[in-house]
Amino acid sequence: MKHAAIFFHYVSQYMKTRLTYRVDMLMEIMSDLLFQAVNLVFILVVFGHTQFLSGWSRDEIIFIYGFFLVPFAIFGAFFNIWDFNERYIVKGEMDRILTRPVHSLFQIILERMELESLFGMITGIAVMVYAGMRLDLSISWYDPFIFILMVIGGAFVYAGIFVMLASISFWSDSRTSIIPMMYNIGNYGRYPVDIYNKVIRFILTWILPFAFVGVYPSAYFLGREDWYVYAFLTPVVGFGFFFLSIFIWNVGVTKYRGAGN
Amino acid sequence: MDQVIQVKDLRKDFKSHSSRPGLKGAFRDLFNRNYSIISAVKDISFEVKQGEMVGYIGENGAGKSTSIKMLTGILTPTDGTVTVNGMNPHKEREKFVSSIGVVFGQRSQLWWDIAVQESFKLLKKVYNVSDEDYEAHMTHVIDSLDIGPLLDKPVRKLSLGQRMRCELAAALLHNPPLLFLDEPTIGLDVLVKLKIRNFLKEINEKYKTTILLTTHDLTDIEALCERVIMLDEGQIIYDGKLANLRSNWGEGKQIEFQFAEEVTKDELSPLMKELDAEWTASERKNVWVANVVNEEHVISEVIGRVVAAHRITDVKIHEISTEEIIRNIYEEGVVDGKIY
Amino acid sequence: MAKYIEMIRIRFLMMLAYRTNYYSGILIYSINIGAYYFLWSAIYGDKGEIEGLSVIQMTTYIAVAWMARAFYFNNIDREIAQEIKEGKVAVEFIRPYHYLTMKTMQGLGEGIFRLGFFSVPGMIIVSLIFPINFSAALSTWLFFMVSIIFSFIVNTQINLLTGVMTFFFFNNDGLIRAKRVVIDLFSGLLLPISFYPVWAQSVMDFLPFKAISYIPSMIFTDGFSRNEVWDALLFQFVWALILIIPIQVLWIIAKRQLIVQGG
Repeated sequence: MKHAAIFFHYVSQYMKTRLTYRVDMLMEIMSDLLFQAVNLVFILVVFGHTQFLSGWSRDEIIFIYGFFLVPFAIFGAFFNIWDFNERYIVKGEMDRILTRPVHSLFQIILERMELESLFGMITGIAVMVYAGMRLDLSISWYDPFIFILMVIGGAFVYAGIFVMLASISFWSDSRTSIIPMMYNIGNYGRYPVDIYNKVIRFILTWILPFAFVGVYPSAYFLGREDWYVYAFLTPVVGFGFFFLSIFIWNVGVTKYRGAGN
Repeated sequence: MDQVIQVKDLRKDFKSHSSRPGLKGAFRDLFNRNYSIISAVKDISFEVKQGEMVGYIGENGAGKSTSIKMLTGILTPTDGTVTVNGMNPHKEREKFVSSIGVVFGQRSQLWWDIAVQESFKLLKKVYNVSDEDYEAHMTHVIDSLDIGPLLDKPVRKLSLGQRMRCELAAALLHNPPLLFLDEPTIGLDVLVKLKIRNFLKEINEKYKTTILLTTHDLTDIEALCERVIMLDEGQIIYDGKLANLRSNWGEGKQIEFQFAEEVTKDELSPLMKELDAEWTASERKNVWVANVVNEEHVISEVIGRVVAAHRITDVKIHEISTEEIIRNIYEEGVVDGKIY
Repeated sequence: MAKYIEMIRIRFLMMLAYRTNYYSGILIYSINIGAYYFLWSAIYGDKGEIEGLSVIQMTTYIAVAWMARAFYFNNIDREIAQEIKEGKVAVEFIRPYHYLTMKTMQGLGEGIFRLGFFSVPGMIIVSLIFPINFSAALSTWLFFMVSIIFSFIVNTQINLLTGVMTFFFFNNDGLIRAKRVVIDLFSGLLLPISFYPVWAQSVMDFLPFKAISYIPSMIFTDGFSRNEVWDALLFQFVWALILIIPIQVLWIIAKRQLIVQGG
């Protein structure tokens, strides 16, 4: 209850400050849209030169991309703590966080949230609907619930990976270029993993399980039955990774060195 | 429970890597680095009773902030035990921090873009403070700190003094029995300092709040603290009454003479024969300072002899300031880890 | 001049200090290039070539595009924006150097570091795993070297431009992000420009972006004829000159604004 009250307080404060800088907010939403468009352009240009990507059609690939945008939007709104090292470790803001009686990660998520990213969900669903209509997909009454479960699972995969990366800062405060590259690697989960060789498929499934944010859960909605096992593993992997990341974070907090040493 | 803070053999080591000099050294660092262990705090022990106001002093790098951070649960100790408010700070961090208040002078606890009041509301939720408690306690705090008119302004629009008073109020919002203040008066003007000091005295009397204060401004400590803990190179070199520190180390006065004409040390020295005193030249022209023991007959004797021998335009008698005492202690060093 | 060279050296040393960066970076670039390799193999399927590029040339294109990116890429737009917001730029004005040149030199220091410690070893590792075609002609290598220097210049100029824009917006993050996305797409990093529809290609002829990635990568993969190479280098050179103008204009306006408003 306490956490929910704090959450809503933060959200209302966030809205207030954001609405005072409306132009910035608009710019951010525009740049998000642009980002989403770029990837779509990539898919469209590629399919200008080929019909199938190892057996997957243009519309199926577009559908996967649309699905991917939804968990990614949730991740972007709440867990996008790529500047954790700079902001909290190097500048010592972590000191302040640790003197408050709420879990440190929860506080940081609230301070760093960017709710405008949630617009990406709309784009994502629109893309899915467009592709789904062209593919003549049928929807059962329980599909929306499965969709929600898959989306949460996917968002947790992303969240888990980025929380783990942020936790590295507790051990080593040197800047790393891992995080920007991680956004690129995240993109590969949007393509059918059977195009990759075993090593990369293994990495995308078990080490950096980005495949659970795109192709695996989408396979369920696209009716690709040979992938159903992976599809239904999505929430399991999501929760597993997320809890693992919180565990690593908690260990990391005890290793925190403080700023200015 | 009488002891609010119990610290035993507390130690904090940091691993630090030194980089080799130059481009060649940097290349070697790429593959193999030199590590060394630096102890920021070396096995310190002390206790603080409820209601005490303790000054925690030391030069930069003496281990002050590292030990404060261990007491507040921010850092995990390498070794030793810390019990604060009956809890182990880093083990039960979230429960523990509800029982303390912390002000970092150089770091804001408030949210930059939003009104002070909104920050308070948020903290009220964070600390689970009921409406009644908040009303009863904060009305008083807001009044005494005189921040009522600031509440609807965003933090970024406040002056440093205004902000600091709000920070203090924020730290006391949940009425903690223990308050940590790290450089709370840094960069503030005298009036604000006085206001803050009076306020701290007041809550100490009213709620028996224990206060641990670190500062570079020793006048804060003189005004507030009976007891000081002094750190140097990670060790406690003095723990006791401020008054004792003064009587052991500050036992003396300085008499400043302004001579009408130029004098030399050779002329002045004979005047001090068989008296426990010494001359030092001041930076100003024709001004000399006699350092003497704090005994009436010596002081009058010195003045009498000097006035008889030379023409004087001005005389001042100074007590040695705490700051000088502390500077002396650091300059003269520490014998066996203790000074007495 | 000595002070600028010193700046390059300092940045170089700074980069060297972050060694976790260095190891993880090579690994991640390799995974990245690997994933693209498989993606493109799947796209090619059993087609021999698309738009004049074979699969092997395509893989080479992607590998060299990412490795060259390590050289020209820098974050000075973000750094400038940060320094403007924190009011540090005002201090920079009284220093005895040109702020933007200094930033460029810092970027160059970073770039040289990554080229030597990252791109070259990374490229060797990648070429052991994936089929990559290195040109045997010395001239190709020389043209490529010249071309990536221009890539650095043009990319840095665009970064300076977006960075300095912070003077005119309260918060520039959106613009900086948008710029990054546009560069990824229109520079030819993700896709060779020749893959786009013809109308899109002719639009891009009038924009500077393809000078950043498409031109050096095509030179490296021997995808250009000798005449096209000269044309492309001229294109890069002209844009490097043109971009000086808006940067100088904005900088002068920004300076004036700073003096009037006092930061």
